[in-house]
Amino acid sequence: MSAVVSPIRKPLVTGHKTYHQITEDLISPTEKAPTKAWTIGFIISVAVLAYGVFCILWTIYVGIGSWNLNRTVNWGWDITNFVWWIGIGHAGTLISAILLLFRQKWRTGVNRAAEAMTIFAVMCAGLFPLIHMGRIWLGMFILPYPNTRGPLWPNFNSPLLWDVFAISTYLTVSLLFWYTGLVPDFATIRDRAKGMRRKIYNTLSFGWTGSAKHWQRWESLSLVLAGLSTPLVLSVHTIVSFDFATSVIPGWHTTIFPPYFVAGAIFSGFAMVLTLMIITRKLLKLEDYITIEHIESMNKVILVTGSIVGVAYLTELFIAWYSGYVYEQFAFFNRALGPYWWSYFGMMFCNVVSPQLFWKKSWRRNITITFLMSIFINIGMWFERFVIIATTLARDYLPSSWSLYSPSWVEIGIYLGTFGLFFTCFLIFTRVAPVVAVAEVKHILKTGGDQYVGENAPKAHHHHHESH
Amino acid sequence: MKHQIDNIWIGQKDLENDKDFIAESNLEVSQQAVTAADMTEHLAGNRRDFLKFLGFGLGAATVAAGCDIPVKRAIPYVVKPEAIVPGVANYYASSFVNGGDFCSILVKTREGRPIKIEGNDLSPLTKGGTSARTQASVLSLYDTNRVASPLMKGNEGWKSSSWADVDKMMMTTCQSSGNIRIVSNTNMSPSSKKALSEFSAKYPNAKWVVYDPVSYSALLEANAQNFGKRAVPSYHFDKANVIVSFNADFLGTWISPIEFAGDYIKNRRIDDVTKAKMSRHIQVESHMSMTGSNADNRILVKPSEQGVAIAHLYNTIVGGNISTSGLNDKAKKALTKVGGELKANPGAGLVVSGSNVVAEQLMVNAINNVLGNYGTTINMSVTSHQAQGSDADFAALVTEMKAGSVDLIIVMNANPAYDAPMAKDFAGALAKVKNKVSFNGTVDETTELCDIIAPGHHFLESWGDVEAKEGMFSLIQPTIAPLFDTRQAELSLLIWAESANVDKINPQPYYEYVKNNWKNTVFPVQNKVSSFTGFWDSCVHDGVFNLDKSSGSNSFTAVTISGDITKPSGKELEISFFETVHIGNGQYASNPWLMEMPDPVTRTTWGNYLAVPVNFDGVKTMVGFQDLKDGDLVELNIGASKYTVPVMQQFGQMPGTVAIALGYGRTGAGATGNNIGVNINPDVLLMNGYRQNFNTNVSISQKTGEEKDFSCVQYHHTIGVKGIDTATGKEINADEAALVFFDYFTGVKGFQGALTERSVVYTAHVNDLANSIEGLTKKRKHAQHLNEQQIYRGFDHNYKLGHHWGMHVDLNACIGCGACTVACMAENNVPVVGKHEVARHHEMSWLRIDRYFYGDVENPNTIYQPMMCQHCDNAPCENVCPVNASNHSSEGLNQMAYNRCIGTRYCANNCPYKVRRFNWLDYTTADIFPGNQPKVAAESTPFGADNLTRMVLNPDVTVRSRGVIEKCSFCVQRIQEGKLAAKVEGRSLVDGDVKTACQTSCPTGAITFGDMNHKDDLLSNKLESPLNYIALEEINVRSSVTYTMKVNNRDKSLDA
Repeated sequence: MSAVVSPIRKPLVTGHKTYHQITEDLISPTEKAPTKAWTIGFIISVAVLAYGVFCILWTIYVGIGSWNLNRTVNWGWDITNFVWWIGIGHAGTLISAILLLFRQKWRTGVNRAAEAMTIFAVMCAGLFPLIHMGRIWLGMFILPYPNTRGPLWPNFNSPLLWDVFAISTYLTVSLLFWYTGLVPDFATIRDRAKGMRRKIYNTLSFGWTGSAKHWQRWESLSLVLAGLSTPLVLSVHTIVSFDFATSVIPGWHTTIFPPYFVAGAIFSGFAMVLTLMIITRKLLKLEDYITIEHIESMNKVILVTGSIVGVAYLTELFIAWYSGYVYEQFAFFNRALGPYWWSYFGMMFCNVVSPQLFWKKSWRRNITITFLMSIFINIGMWFERFVIIATTLARDYLPSSWSLYSPSWVEIGIYLGTFGLFFTCFLIFTRVAPVVAVAEVKHILKTGGDQYVGENAPKAHHHHHESH
Repeated sequence: MKHQIDNIWIGQKDLENDKDFIAESNLEVSQQAVTAADMTEHLAGNRRDFLKFLGFGLGAATVAAGCDIPVKRAIPYVVKPEAIVPGVANYYASSFVNGGDFCSILVKTREGRPIKIEGNDLSPLTKGGTSARTQASVLSLYDTNRVASPLMKGNEGWKSSSWADVDKMMMTTCQSSGNIRIVSNTNMSPSSKKALSEFSAKYPNAKWVVYDPVSYSALLEANAQNFGKRAVPSYHFDKANVIVSFNADFLGTWISPIEFAGDYIKNRRIDDVTKAKMSRHIQVESHMSMTGSNADNRILVKPSEQGVAIAHLYNTIVGGNISTSGLNDKAKKALTKVGGELKANPGAGLVVSGSNVVAEQLMVNAINNVLGNYGTTINMSVTSHQAQGSDADFAALVTEMKAGSVDLIIVMNANPAYDAPMAKDFAGALAKVKNKVSFNGTVDETTELCDIIAPGHHFLESWGDVEAKEGMFSLIQPTIAPLFDTRQAELSLLIWAESANVDKINPQPYYEYVKNNWKNTVFPVQNKVSSFTGFWDSCVHDGVFNLDKSSGSNSFTAVTISGDITKPSGKELEISFFETVHIGNGQYASNPWLMEMPDPVTRTTWGNYLAVPVNFDGVKTMVGFQDLKDGDLVELNIGASKYTVPVMQQFGQMPGTVAIALGYGRTGAGATGNNIGVNINPDVLLMNGYRQNFNTNVSISQKTGEEKDFSCVQYHHTIGVKGIDTATGKEINADEAALVFFDYFTGVKGFQGALTERSVVYTAHVNDLANSIEGLTKKRKHAQHLNEQQIYRGFDHNYKLGHHWGMHVDLNACIGCGACTVACMAENNVPVVGKHEVARHHEMSWLRIDRYFYGDVENPNTIYQPMMCQHCDNAPCENVCPVNASNHSSEGLNQMAYNRCIGTRYCANNCPYKVRRFNWLDYTTADIFPGNQPKVAAESTPFGADNLTRMVLNPDVTVRSRGVIEKCSFCVQRIQEGKLAAKVEGRSLVDGDVKTACQTSCPTGAITFGDMNHKDDLLSNKLESPLNYIALEEINVRSSVTYTMKVNNRDKSLDA
């Protein structure tokens, strides 16, 4: 093609794929019978999900008293998990929207799965604010709808209400974005399918014909949605951080929370994307689409955001000391040295110390290290939320009311259940839709790195293998 | 256009002042007829609509029919009773009596149900104060364990009987019996005593034996020797400048705590800081009692050193050479000093002792006599009847019973098979008594062993009288018809005695009996009212009658102090047993409100805990005796007995001693009271026949496990106790050091200042008051300055317009007795959650009393801080509620709209005072799912799920459902009631119209509630004290509750 020969830009898709090969590689998993690994995984996921559903029903039947929260620590694993899942749900939008606007073409290899992950993570997250309510059956009180009680509106001052709007907006936009991307791919599946399957995919693809007009509109829509999503990446976790920052509780009442939460969210989101991608590319044999380059790029983001988070932790400590305010000072003293010191230690180690390994290039490109690191970060970010929520609440202003908290079997069950929900959805997703955006990958096959002549260049001149 | 109004208008017609419209809108019910034409239009429809409605209706009916909604019947009055206006409470003066416990009360009834107890201001004794026990007594009226009819024991257990059968049987039994013994606790009722004497007159073999669950025998005996009167004197703690108490818990349990607390605090509160003066209170004890926790100084002596400690003071003051070997040196030195101080305050000191050794009480009397305290702080001319029991009489009874010489025993409001010092012997000997009758209202340990239960009324169903102190009469009047087929115990006695003074045909024979007794005894000796009817009516109305007794003599007859005093055991470990403020010696164990009330000192509920000494290891740990921690289980060996008990690290517990509460481990206290804690009564010692509440033959195992439900409501007990750092030898803040769980190998000794710099409580010494006030003022000014630096205007201007409710809590008056906490539960329908839930920190109390130890780690001082919703005018709970369930009234009240609450609990997280309570489970047993109601203990029906217990609920206060937040409302129902009353009377509210439940229950007047906009009221007056502060003022929540700096009068030289 007309491209300039590049000695530095490595190919985004390796393995000298043809367009047809791409279609085959990416669409065929939806057409074949599931593998044994998939089946086992699916059974486990559904079983865990069922247990989670039982625990949720148990909570609703018995009451929040089936959890181990108490008069001092009124939020525990529920909101910890909520913030954690919401954080994980951040990578999707970031990859889809911001990287699209920044023309980061490597995003196409991972954006589909990341977006799916976002949606499923937001679903898991959204569950917690619902079930943590004492009277879930009156949950509609939180919605601003005209009613016969005055009308009585919700409290627009409350960050919990902002949460409702932030999360529902985020879920809607993410869902639209994801689905928009899927439309041409569904059409591809349809074109290869027969009978009922064809009809279903025809409906799902909204009668996509691949006409120039369709592509033009599709491109415009993607761009518009990217524009809409970009502020959301910042706003959702900013608003989630307001749940804490607008309170009067020492350790919560800090202005640093919005940026710190956003960085943390991207950090954990990328970690989760890596965890999933590393498994998926292996299982679905997508090493050519999700390459080491992708992994390295994401590790760079992790290094940056992890360091931002680390700076935020240290800033918090400094400000606590600098404030000269005994409650603030004690809150942070207590986090680090108090009864939950292990969670603070875990947070610091997993989130700040361990990602520093990624300064070394070979470790950034090492799949085993990356995978372990992604797990570390997931754990560390969970600890961070636990530290912020439970540790802070356990010892606030009045020593008389200090208490401790550890979860009950129901709370653990619900958390496990969200994994069940997440993986059930994800596994179904891998069976019904291409996990890599087929149309978008085809789009970059020829523009990114096609003319690469550097030392890692394939021996054959691949421009001779143009499409059939 | 007609004249327009400039007020609020609805619609154009209103705006234009349309006459017809105005007339129409003034009518309560619209007079506009609904015509047939309107209806057809409204209901117009066709076949399709009809089918739609039919389908919907059928579907809705099917869904609705699936839910089983219980039918609840409410029957209105057909004929309105004269005294009852539905929705308006009636108050009746009466008296709470149980053994020696007494309180003059007003009983609040609603639609004929007693629902709340208030203090009676007219009583010269209790002066409107109450106790936790008094407050909770209304619940025992609705106890599901009450015996519903006379019972007789058959082969297959208890069988219902009739009064006629019981009377027939008893009359023959009484006739045929040789020795008849009536056993009771202290009885202060003149009419009851008359009935007893009539019974004894009829059956000359009958004898009345009095004992008390916690004995005052030796005190009575000593007074008999010194004054010729076997009685308790009047104590005047208000007149004493130096109070020395040897293990007498006079603020909590000893003789007349409500009276003593009221008096005590008069000389302790600081009304004018420029003339600050307070008594010095020195408590000599081993275990931190509630009274000890209020003391300025505590001198620690082991239980067996009590005798020599008194002897040492006796030697110092009276002179004498009684051996005091075995008394620890520190106590010896301190007591010598105390002796000097007492001598420097002649006639203004007061020495009291809880000892039950005659020689020790004789020494105390001699000390008081030499100091000239008789006639000033102690008055023997007006004696109290609140303790009458005799250990010797009871021991004699047991001997008689063992010998088989008692034919009939009648148990009258006593439970000796559980609480007597020789309970086991008594229970065993009971088998040798031919006939056993109990008047007790529940099947307790003693009643279980009887053959006949002739259940007496609850005091709220009874007529009766009380003479708690000579000449201070009170009446008991019924406030509800007997709920069950029970009968006044005295009436039963009179009927069995075939008394001529009982008119059996009269519907209320005992009423007539009491009335006649007063006509013959009290009425003639007074000269205030000339007609008996007038006299009687005023007595019933007031509940009290005070006979001005001309002061008699205080003449002291010196006697040689002979007889044994307690010998120091010299053992490494001793245990003391104590009566708790709420449970007593088990008399109140069947009352869930009292079981759930935290012990003021330990803050534990539902059970007795072994208090072990705790000390700072000099590094960073608080080490309990044998490394035991709160909630650890140990095996406690006393003599041959073994108990498995949980441990509580108790600050102020003397090293080498442990302590455990009496009154637990009952087996006859009903499902909610049985087998909670352990019964330690079998191991109290007897010395020369006198009950001694300690034991020296004790050992404690290492930790054997952990208590399943460690139901303590406060985990952190201290706010800056100081100890010595072993590394540097310097004094550091021990509990701040102990907050470190892991120091990353840095050796960090806590964050010094983490607790002491909190703006939660402030303390001062009375001699250093000016400095402390200056510091406080400076700190407050700084906080107020910061609070002004904001852009948010707030709504303060609103609160200046009408009422602005506020509260003042005088921490110098609060003794921590907990009456307010129980009063709050009763007033506001606060649910009882039980041991397991309390252990999970799910207690629901709206008002709690935080207790902090400060000062010396080994021998600290104590602050009690009642903590309830602070009704912040810039409330952090309000802005975070997503549905506005937590909101603010224009009168400064922080309100909860329960129906709106969806239970996110953000408000509870964001409450700096942690006073918000969440209904974690279905505590009120009112949920749609019947299977999810938690049990309080081992009861078969969850507590409160039955209609009997629910009768205690206050109909003015919503019962909260599962999943909603609740909290102190400043008794908004009382505010509303006060406003309505004022409106009906066409006046504005005045001071005292509205009093909260906690305020009225307080025996020391520590709580003042009122309108902060009324500048002449008591509240505004109190708000001017420079000792005042607002907890956490600098976070600018603008709370409406003001506390005072806690002032002590500790003599540091006694610590050396």
